[in-house]
Amino acid sequence: MMSEKSRQNKKQSIEEKLIEDLNSILDATVNYQTERRLWVNIEPDLIVETCTKAYELGFEHLSTISVTDWLDKGKLEVTYHLWSYTHNHLLTIKTKIDRKKPKISSLNSIWGGNAETCERECHELFGVDFKGNPNLTPLFLEDWEGPPPFLKDFDWREYVKKEMYDQKNPREKVYFEVRK
Amino acid sequence: MITKKKVMKKIVKSVWVFNWFNSCGFTEIVPVVGSRWDMERFGLVAVNSPRKADALFIAGYQTPKSMKRAQQIYEQMPSPKFVFALGCCTMTGGMYWDSYNTVKRIDDYLPVFMYIPGCPPRPEAIFDAVHKVVVHVDELPDE
Repeated sequence: MMSEKSRQNKKQSIEEKLIEDLNSILDATVNYQTERRLWVNIEPDLIVETCTKAYELGFEHLSTISVTDWLDKGKLEVTYHLWSYTHNHLLTIKTKIDRKKPKISSLNSIWGGNAETCERECHELFGVDFKGNPNLTPLFLEDWEGPPPFLKDFDWREYVKKEMYDQKNPREKVYFEVRK
Repeated sequence: MITKKKVMKKIVKSVWVFNWFNSCGFTEIVPVVGSRWDMERFGLVAVNSPRKADALFIAGYQTPKSMKRAQQIYEQMPSPKFVFALGCCTMTGGMYWDSYNTVKRIDDYLPVFMYIPGCPPRPEAIFDAVHKVVVHVDELPDE
């Protein structure tokens, strides 16, 4: 019987080996975040290359793509969550792109329709242009004419008051009295 | 002579309903179908095609995208047809009043026959609303 301590030691050594492998193959510094979660920061040009390497290493499942808006730094952070069924680890690949011209290569060469749908969502909510994605049509926001709504400098309450409510309407007058 | 009242009388004996439910609207109104409140004892039947329906129940907050589908359903229903808006979110956007993607005035999209307020409306409120339709038909002039 393996004792609890030796089992933990074994688990740790497997994890360390995985981080070493990733460091050498991805050519970047992989950080141990919490148990079974690894983070890596890379340059935006290397995204397809890094993801291909990670895919070959066993990170086969693209869980989701998310975007964070860093307004004060002028950057959009695109985050890719990859899960590996062989290693049981979540690899989070983070990359920062320019906020004014958000462009990044599409991953549909690796994950096909799965990546395509995630990218469509990020495109409509944050305005990120995924180069190489053939279908960047709106997913939820049909007929939307305003700016990408999830950007932090878009005040949607002001937008809604201006576009959708009428101050002269007695029923809707109350919405204009709501403070920020 | 076929009058409006005669036609309507036949329909309100059994109101067939097509449901267009979004989000929590669905889960909150489902008890109406179940055995406790049992809408079938009033002749209300949930049907699977808009072509068989007399009434369209809309519940839950609506987005412009879902409203387009609701309009398509409404167009497919045979006349005479009624639209019931159930709940605050459907009528005014409710707690999502400042969201960029909810419908604020449902009457811009569909001719609503009756608004049933509540979050969600009680099953009794829905039965009351349908009863009001029956009374309305009874009060129609027979000409």
